[in-house]
Amino acid sequence: MKWLSILLGTLIVSSPLYAQNFDQKRAAMVQNQLRQRGIVQTNVLEAFQKVERHLFVPAAYTSMAYSDGPLPIGYGQTISQPYIVAYMTQLVNPKPNGKVLEIGTGSGYQAAILAEIVEKVYTIEIIPELGKSATDRLKELGYQNIEVITADGYHGLEEQAPFDAIVVTAAAEHIPPSLIQQLKEGGKMIIPVGSPFLVQTLMLVEKKAKKVTTKSLMPVRFVPFTRSQEK
Amino acid sequence: MIAFQLVLMQLISAVQWSYFAYMVISIALLGYGASGTLLAMIRSWIEKHGNKLLSPLMTISGLAMLGILWFSSVIFKRFDTYLIFVDTTHIVYLIIVCVSFFMPFFLGALAIGIIYINYVSRIGFLYFADLFGSGVGGIVLLALLWVCFPSQLPAVIAMLPLIAGMLIVPKKWFRILVFPSLILLLIPVYLVCVPIQLPVSEFKSISKTLNLPESEIYLERKSPYGHIQLVRSPVLRYAPGLSLSFEGEVPVVDMLFCNGNWVGPIIGLSQFDTTHFLDFTTHAMSYRISTPENVLILEGGTALFAGYALWKGSGNIVLVEENKEITDLLKNELASQSDSLLVHPYVRAVNLHARHFLLTDTNQYDLIILPEIESFGGTSGVNALKEQYVFTTDALADCWERLSGNGMIEVTAWLDYPARNPLRILASLVEMLEEKGVTSIESHLVALRSWGTISFLLKKTPFTQEEVFALHEFCSQMYFDAVLLPHTQVNDIEVFNHLEDTTFASSVRQIISAQREEFYAAYDFNIRPVRDMRPYFSQFLKLNRLHKLRDTLGNTNLPFFEVGYFIVLLTFIVVVVIAIVLIVLPLFFIRWQGHGKLFTLLYFSGIGIGFMFVEVVLIQQFILYFGHPVFAASAVLIALLLSSGIGSLRSSVLIKSYGQLWKLLSLIFLIVLLYAIILMPLLRITISLSFVWKILFSIVLIFPLAFFMGMPFPIGLRLLSEHNKVMIPWAWGINGCFSVISTVLAAIIAVEAGYFWVMLAACIAYSLAVAAVLIGRLVRV
Repeated sequence: MKWLSILLGTLIVSSPLYAQNFDQKRAAMVQNQLRQRGIVQTNVLEAFQKVERHLFVPAAYTSMAYSDGPLPIGYGQTISQPYIVAYMTQLVNPKPNGKVLEIGTGSGYQAAILAEIVEKVYTIEIIPELGKSATDRLKELGYQNIEVITADGYHGLEEQAPFDAIVVTAAAEHIPPSLIQQLKEGGKMIIPVGSPFLVQTLMLVEKKAKKVTTKSLMPVRFVPFTRSQEK
Repeated sequence: MIAFQLVLMQLISAVQWSYFAYMVISIALLGYGASGTLLAMIRSWIEKHGNKLLSPLMTISGLAMLGILWFSSVIFKRFDTYLIFVDTTHIVYLIIVCVSFFMPFFLGALAIGIIYINYVSRIGFLYFADLFGSGVGGIVLLALLWVCFPSQLPAVIAMLPLIAGMLIVPKKWFRILVFPSLILLLIPVYLVCVPIQLPVSEFKSISKTLNLPESEIYLERKSPYGHIQLVRSPVLRYAPGLSLSFEGEVPVVDMLFCNGNWVGPIIGLSQFDTTHFLDFTTHAMSYRISTPENVLILEGGTALFAGYALWKGSGNIVLVEENKEITDLLKNELASQSDSLLVHPYVRAVNLHARHFLLTDTNQYDLIILPEIESFGGTSGVNALKEQYVFTTDALADCWERLSGNGMIEVTAWLDYPARNPLRILASLVEMLEEKGVTSIESHLVALRSWGTISFLLKKTPFTQEEVFALHEFCSQMYFDAVLLPHTQVNDIEVFNHLEDTTFASSVRQIISAQREEFYAAYDFNIRPVRDMRPYFSQFLKLNRLHKLRDTLGNTNLPFFEVGYFIVLLTFIVVVVIAIVLIVLPLFFIRWQGHGKLFTLLYFSGIGIGFMFVEVVLIQQFILYFGHPVFAASAVLIALLLSSGIGSLRSSVLIKSYGQLWKLLSLIFLIVLLYAIILMPLLRITISLSFVWKILFSIVLIFPLAFFMGMPFPIGLRLLSEHNKVMIPWAWGINGCFSVISTVLAAIIAVEAGYFWVMLAACIAYSLAVAAVLIGRLVRV
């Protein structure tokens, strides 16, 4: 029975109709959730159009892969809402020749998006099970420019530093000093603060002239709220 | 049933989101109301055959207690309250959980209801027994929490109905059923030895911590203060709001959890040589300008700030923490990890409620550190019902009185957006200063902001030029911004940490200005300072601004900003809707037309609501009075229930005619009104008495009120039995439903208006009962 259901599932997932359905959903996601909400960078939009998000979510949530919200991936972690991933990516302004460090690989989706844009992505996952599944998934999808490291991301990756951008997906009550040190002069770090199920605030950290400044952006849940909307 | 309810609340809160535990238990308690509904439908059958059902009902109720525990262990593997916002399937699971938890309460209440119907002539004694049992249940649970883990308790409690079921088996069946009953008893005995463990949500902080590599729970403690767990892992670190200029090493620490929720790190002093990471947080600003000798730390938790004060050279540190288990652990098993911090001669730990301590202590301090407000990233209002007394204007005024000549008060809040907590605590500090006659607010109050926190420092004397200069230097070294600090130019308010919401700085300015009333009124959230009678709830919604917030944040997003309070409001709506159905349903079976319905509805709802409202307020007030929340709550509950029980027992002797009933209710009305006015001042005046005198005084205060409050229910049922017997089960159902509604409603009134208004609402409820009697419908039946 178990084998029958796996066989059936494989047949459905590999069918052209099924794939076409996801293509349509992905195109709708890019149009409705990203473009219409102010994601304008072409390279970011193209990356979202290309990366198959449904391959990064647990089987139970495949049908919801392109929905407008976060999804659980196990171990108390989530794959962020597409808009938040896009907004974060746009904020760090990744360049084709750039080198990006991600802390908190999770499903590997953010790393895949970044890998479509930049030259090299290093991503560190602390939970071994998540690290392994992300490694397998990204390898299977053919990403050559992503290196998944299963370790404590607290100390960053000194041997590959400095980085043009650092994306921290698992925020804590303090920002590890080593990450600030490994950020290139002029580099940007983005950190989501808050609960993925409730309200998140994005914080942008910039290193300029040997000084570090932060910018706390408006809360994010589907769209960034702005005071101007009150009027 | 009371013990089972309390233990379920603790169990579910520990493994799932506590607000959903609140919702599940509230709905489950409607089982009382539902039992009345069913009994009303089959009353005549119950009168003839009901007694035969008592034994099986008690037995099944006990089994249901065990059954839902097993069921929860299965369903909580699939169901997670945190995922309700993501996956609608979990809403279906939530309904299933509510229905399953409803069953033991329904079955148990059915048995009680049958006894009330069939032995109504002895209602005074029966109600006394019911209240006495509830009181004893509370004491027994408290005692059990010292010796059992929470997961063992449902099985222990389930033995009681199983034994009761066995004891009331009809004599002719006794010999046949006694052996199977004993076999059944083996089930809870087995489950005490091998308890069913409920899966902990993967999104609870302890689950996330245990997912980290090499993490393990290495120490556990059980007590009425909660289930404490110590976790170690080589990757756990803690440095709240650390400056981005810090280049050192944040040490690896062990973390303490209580009921699955994070409490704090265990940090010793030997980990630091020349630098302490707290020097690089906004907490350090008081130490930048002085070396306070006498330091008071309120809600000191795992003693992080006590250790810091010691490290900075303070010679007399008082740490106030109500959870005795935490301080005992730090003094004993965790002494080596914490470098014997709490047994250091300069440190004294006091196990009292922080507000109580402020009311009774007479010492002077150079620095008073209040607990951090909220947590990293904001909590979206998940602590909406957690009242905090240390942030009220009254508490801040008491802190002010405890300050030495150059003493300071430090309070830190995590930043939230839209800003709520920082603005309310600022408003509270400013208004307290004004009440104390301080006119130049800005010379006594400074505020520094990091990327994630804002710390306020209030000084009894004006800050000197040197201190102001030192704080400016501190800001530039730490990349902090001076939100409130003399000689700060407008352009310098956001040098390092910019906010996209540019209204924060102007909000701060308006609060310290004379126009703050206009600002309070105009701001979309309620950030007004609060008083002891309406303590600090992390709830800021203005219900009359919902439409504006909805326009700003969007319909679907709005609840997520104050999610805790929305769940409470949702619980209230759900409970009211179900209660209406349960109350209306029997009317189809007992004639719609007829006498006594209005009386029954008004009378039993009025006394049900009134009793619960008074109970909620008494518990809150006496927690402050005694300073030990767990024991004060239990003691008040027991005193209240026993006094009411005695009132019930004496009711038939004292109230013999219908004409006397309205006088009794009017008397209760007047006593509640009197207590609404004098209770708090009386408790404040006598708070410094010795423990024994306080106990005696509490009994003197509680007994008369509770004695009379225990009478209306049995008298009402007895009158119904004489004139309108058909209404008895309906009355039982109404009382059950309104008792549940009133506990949720009391929380909402307390948040919106304060405990004084809860007492006034209790008066209104009792006046409903007076009105019911005066309408005099019953006489005609």
